[in-house]
Amino acid sequence: MNLETLSLNLLGLLTPFLVILAFITPLLSKLLKSSRRAPFIIALIGGVYAAMASTVVFCYEITSRSPLIYTYGGWPPHFGIVYEIDLFNGLLGFLVAWIMLAIILYSSWYSKRLDDASWYFTLLLGLTAGVLGCLYTGDAFNFFVMLEVLSISTYGLVAYLRNRAEAVEATAKYALIGAVATTMYFLALVIIYSGYGTVNMAYLAGLSSAEFVVKEPSLRYLSLLAVSLALWTFTFKSAIFPSHFWLVDANPEAPHPVSVALSGLVESVGIYAAGRFLYTIFRPNGVLAVYHSVILIVLVTLGAISGVVCALMMLNQRDIKRLLAYSSISHTGIVYMGLFAGFLVNNSAVEAAITGAIVHAVSHVIAKTALFMSSGLFIETSGSRDLDDMRGVGRAHPLALVATVISTLSLIGLVPFIGFYSKLLIILGYISAGFVIVPILVIAITALSVPGYMKILSSVAFGIPAKEYKRPSGETWVEVLILLIALSLLVLGVIFWYIMPIFQDTTSSLISGAGDYINSALERIPEELRSLMRGVS
Amino acid sequence: MEGFVYVLFIVVLAVNALLSIYGIVYRRSLVKKLISLTILSDTIFVSIILVGFIFKYPVVPPVYIGVSGEETYLLEHGSDPLPQALVLTGIVIGLAVNALIAFGVIQVYRLTGTTDAKRAIRVLVEEVMEE
Repeated sequence: MNLETLSLNLLGLLTPFLVILAFITPLLSKLLKSSRRAPFIIALIGGVYAAMASTVVFCYEITSRSPLIYTYGGWPPHFGIVYEIDLFNGLLGFLVAWIMLAIILYSSWYSKRLDDASWYFTLLLGLTAGVLGCLYTGDAFNFFVMLEVLSISTYGLVAYLRNRAEAVEATAKYALIGAVATTMYFLALVIIYSGYGTVNMAYLAGLSSAEFVVKEPSLRYLSLLAVSLALWTFTFKSAIFPSHFWLVDANPEAPHPVSVALSGLVESVGIYAAGRFLYTIFRPNGVLAVYHSVILIVLVTLGAISGVVCALMMLNQRDIKRLLAYSSISHTGIVYMGLFAGFLVNNSAVEAAITGAIVHAVSHVIAKTALFMSSGLFIETSGSRDLDDMRGVGRAHPLALVATVISTLSLIGLVPFIGFYSKLLIILGYISAGFVIVPILVIAITALSVPGYMKILSSVAFGIPAKEYKRPSGETWVEVLILLIALSLLVLGVIFWYIMPIFQDTTSSLISGAGDYINSALERIPEELRSLMRGVS
Repeated sequence: MEGFVYVLFIVVLAVNALLSIYGIVYRRSLVKKLISLTILSDTIFVSIILVGFIFKYPVVPPVYIGVSGEETYLLEHGSDPLPQALVLTGIVIGLAVNALIAFGVIQVYRLTGTTDAKRAIRVLVEEVMEE
């Protein structure tokens, strides 16, 4: 079996397998009453499978460089649901699946604190299916379905400690606004379907730059309305300035593994979708014409505002998880500032900035995973989320403390870590285009957020313990897991010049690979039907 | 006449959507927020069915491709079935979301004794102060 067949088989089975595993978890744990580990083992099977499948798919993408298409039920694109993977979503899916595996392992430690862990792991598997489905799908309506799967799982997970009033209250707020946001995406799809007669991403991309569509002013305003509605949903999911409030409310109240998922995975989905919509489906020079640059500039501005505001908000937080949530928003702001650099005229500048944004998305997710996981350990040992009550707790968990220091340094952007290169590339991109406001802002955001991180370090690492912390036995493996995640930041930073071509190719698949993305999907349509479809050559 | 009815229908849908957004944002009761949310999603479901009736797309939608001869009669006189399939999916998903939010509202009521969003927060703050 060659790599293509293998990756197609693994990919086609991915979401159905995860959903089946999710739904048999409660049933099996009822049948196997004696075994408390059963739900975790089922979730682990799902996590390992997802990590394996996404790795194989990513390897195929690196070697072949052409989009991989899986047609569900054998229906060609536009007639049925397809999964379409190029380097951009292949890379993000690879990252997300491995982080999810780490979260499932970490949950095995955390779930000892839950009365009944079977529903918890059901929801966690649902979240995995939702996130990977969102990233891999090539159909805008299937994206909506997967977005709802993801959202329902996160609502359930945030409220999982259902007897804590704060958690339920935060969920009620998050779920109400989240449901409105996904409904708005549905409305955007209605508008897109009424204008183009299709919801397939590749065919939409082909149509939105076809000549007979570009000439039509009514379609331009219709697409503009749809894109604005859809982008509101995506900025909500990636917690960008006007709609960032849910993350800071939901994150502190959620169980610790779920905080990792909210800050890392859900935000990645929002970033991915916004990039896909603005660089593949509605391209520059396409139907949006001059409004495309306007949208990009608005997104960069929103990213800058959330970067600066949330870096300042970090200063007066006492709750460690709330502080980290604000830091997540501020870093997503930096990702947005880099990713939507498409309005610059200089092509190599755009490429550098977007490469920087993708590297920053990766480094931020890894660093935040390590930080949230170690903060979970600290909170459980000290019994409080308040930084003042956590003084010196790091001494009870030396390995997790090292991980905290490493990931903090990477987030700040010091030299041997990958966080340095991502900010460097964004800054270099903008400077080479002569656009100095963004580099100044990136440096200002970094400088403003340093005191926030120092607050964590000074309390957790250097504070004098107020009381004797009992070091729980048999939990060293959790610390080793966290340390491994944090060390990957250092390793990636050291070998950065060797892996940079992968990120550069990811960028070029995003900004200039739209033609490939369209053609490889439309080639699947039989010859006789293709001649009947407009906009397909 | 037909055109007037369609325009009226679209205006009614838009007013409905705006009213439900007002309800979600400004009503303090969580139950009323939930009701407004269901009104909003139903408005959007109706509007996508409307799309199947009145719009003539610049491209041929999926179910029309490859159909010729006498069969086109049905397609020309009926609505596009694809939006209805989308709506069915949307309704099923909406059910799950609404059930989850309804559970959240009930749980807030059990824990704080009120479904008023602002008063619930006040109860929570007071509890924290007492600690």
